[in-house]
Amino acid sequence: MVARRQFLRYLGATALGVAATGCKLGSEYDVRSLAQPEVLATLGVAEVRNIGQRYRTLNPSEASVNAIREAILGSRPLAARLGLINPPVAALVRGDFEHGRTVALDGWILSVTEARQCALLASLTT
Amino acid sequence: MHTDARDLEPGSLIEGDLCIVGAGAAGISMALEWIGAGRRVLLLEGGGFDYDPHMQDLYRGDNIGLPYYPIQSARLHFFGGTTGHWAGFCSTMDPLDFAVRDWVPHSGWPIARTELDPYYKRALSVVQIGPDEWTAEAWQRRDPSLVPFPLDRNVAWTKMWQFSAPARFGVLYRKPIVDAPDVHLYTHANVVEIISNENASAVQELRVRTLEGKEHRVRAKRFVLACCTIQNARLLLASNGQASAGLGNANDLVGRYFMEHLEMPSGNLVTLGRTPPSVQMYDWGWGRTKARGEIALSQEVQRRRRILNATVSLSPAALSDPPQSTFQQINPQLIEMFHTGKLSDDVLKTPPPSAVPRTFQLMTRQEQAPNPASRVTLSTERDALGMPRTRLDWRLTELDRSSFAAFYEELGCEFGRAGVGRLQMRDWVMQPPNAGWPPSLSGGWHHMGTTRMSPDPKQGVVDVNCRVHGIANLYVAGAAVFPTAGCVNPTFSLVALTLRLSDYLKHSSA
Repeated sequence: MVARRQFLRYLGATALGVAATGCKLGSEYDVRSLAQPEVLATLGVAEVRNIGQRYRTLNPSEASVNAIREAILGSRPLAARLGLINPPVAALVRGDFEHGRTVALDGWILSVTEARQCALLASLTT
Repeated sequence: MHTDARDLEPGSLIEGDLCIVGAGAAGISMALEWIGAGRRVLLLEGGGFDYDPHMQDLYRGDNIGLPYYPIQSARLHFFGGTTGHWAGFCSTMDPLDFAVRDWVPHSGWPIARTELDPYYKRALSVVQIGPDEWTAEAWQRRDPSLVPFPLDRNVAWTKMWQFSAPARFGVLYRKPIVDAPDVHLYTHANVVEIISNENASAVQELRVRTLEGKEHRVRAKRFVLACCTIQNARLLLASNGQASAGLGNANDLVGRYFMEHLEMPSGNLVTLGRTPPSVQMYDWGWGRTKARGEIALSQEVQRRRRILNATVSLSPAALSDPPQSTFQQINPQLIEMFHTGKLSDDVLKTPPPSAVPRTFQLMTRQEQAPNPASRVTLSTERDALGMPRTRLDWRLTELDRSSFAAFYEELGCEFGRAGVGRLQMRDWVMQPPNAGWPPSLSGGWHHMGTTRMSPDPKQGVVDVNCRVHGIANLYVAGAAVFPTAGCVNPTFSLVALTLRLSDYLKHSSA
C-alpha cells in the first residue's frame, strides 16, 4: 500500500517526464492531474489503485502511462480532438455516464474515462 | 363490547351478522368501519390483550425452504396483531405493480392502482399518517431541507415513504372497539376449523377453542379471515371436514405463492464533489422521521431490463462493513421489540449523526416474483389446540436474483450521470446466473400471497372482491390476497384493501 503523501511525491516526479504534450491541453490533462480521479478523495489511494489494476488487467492494450493517457485524449469529442474546444475531464466523465460508456470494476460502476484515470494512478505507482 | 372466551360456558353459540377472524391491522381496520353500521359484528381474536408466550407458540412451525426467521417471531398473536412490532413504514404500491408484466410470471392484479387510491386516502387516518402527499417535490415544499437527488425521472425517481408513530393498533383501537355497542370482541377465541355445508359452497359455522380446552361455535351470515397470511392459509387447509384438500382449495392454490420482500444490503454509495448532494431527504431515524425518500427505477427501465420492482434506502456506513443476514443477526433489542412492541430507550435516544456522511450502505427492498412452489402447507405436528402446525417452504427464482444486478447497474449509471456519486455492487450481486443466494439473504418480515386474488379460480383463491372462489360467504382480508408483492411494506396497502372489502360487504347483500 502506498501512503498518499508518498504517492503524490512519486506522481510529481513521474509527471515531469511524460506529460510534455499535456501543456497545450490545459493542466488537468497532464498526467499528474489525470491520475487523480474524483473518487480518489473519498475512496483513497489503495482502493483507487486496486480499481486501476483491475482495469489494466481487463485492458492489456492500455498497459503503459502513455497508452492510457492517449486513450483518454482519444476518447474526447471530435471538436476537442481538433482543438476547437477544451472540455474539462469532469465533462468527459459526465458524458461517459450520459452515453452509457461505463465499466464495472470491483463492483464500482465508473465512467470509462475515470476508470482510465484509476489505471493511470495504478500505472504510476506500480 | 368485550368477552373473554374463557369465561363462556363450554359449547356456547355466538351469533352475528359479520364475523371477522383476527384482530390485527386488517381485522381491526374492518371492525372500525362497522361501528354504528347497525349490524352485529363479531371480532374473534385468538390471544388476549398482551403478549403471552403460550399463545405465541401456536404460531410455531417448520421451515423447510430457504433460511428464514422463526415463523412464530414474524407475527404477533394478541389484540393488535403484528402492528405490535410494526416499524410504521408506509408507502403506496406503484401502478406497474398491478399490471400484467410479461417478464414476471403470474403477475397482474384484477384491479388497477386507481381502484385503491380512494382507500389509500382513507387508510391514512387508520395508520395515523398524512397528509396525502407522496411526491418528493411536495415534501420539499413542506421542508426545503429535503432535496431529492437530481435524477432523470425516465430512469430513476425518489419514492416517498411516510412513517407511522408507529400505530400500535392494540393500544390505539382497544377502547373504540371495546366501547362499540355493535362490535363484539371475543379474546382467547382461536378458530380451529371452518365448517362448511356438505358441498363446501358456504360456511355454516366456526369451531373456536381456548387454550384451556373450552370449545364454542360461531355463526354469522358472512365471515372474513383476517388472521395473517400464514394463518389464513393454515386455517383453510386444516378445515378439511367437507373438502378433503381444505376449504377453497379445489385447485390446489391455498398456501401457494408465499412471498416476502428481499431486504438486503446490496451495494454502497460514495457521494462526490466538494459540496456533495444533500442526503437529508433519504435519512431515517426511528421515531424522528416523518417522511423520507428511497430510490426506485422508472417503469420504463423496469420494462426494458425485465426486472422486478425495488427501492434502495441509504444508511451511513463504512464501505468495509460486511452485510449480515437478519435471519441470523437479529439485534437483541429488535428481538425484544418483535415480542413486546417496545424498543429500548437507548435506541430511541440515539442522536442523529452530527457530520454529513459520504459513504452509505444501499439497502434494497425488492419484491419477490410470485412462485407457486413457494408455499405454506401443514405439518404432521399439532399445536396445543390440536391444529396441524405450519410448514413453510420459502423459495425464490432466478428472476429474484438477477433483478438485483440490473437494478444496480442502472442506478450506478444514473448516480454517475446526475453527479450524485459512485455506486459499488456487492460481490454476490455480480455473481453469474444460478449462483445461489449469499449468506446475507434477508427478508422484511412481510408475508404475502397465500390466497391470491384472481377472477379465475384456477389462478387464485379469492375473486376481485376478496371472496373465496366457490364459497358464498367467506372472504379474506390482508396481504394474503396480494397477487404480487410490490416493493413497499404491506401494511398500508392491506389496510386500504380491507377498507375496500368493507365497502363491498356493506353494499352487497348477505
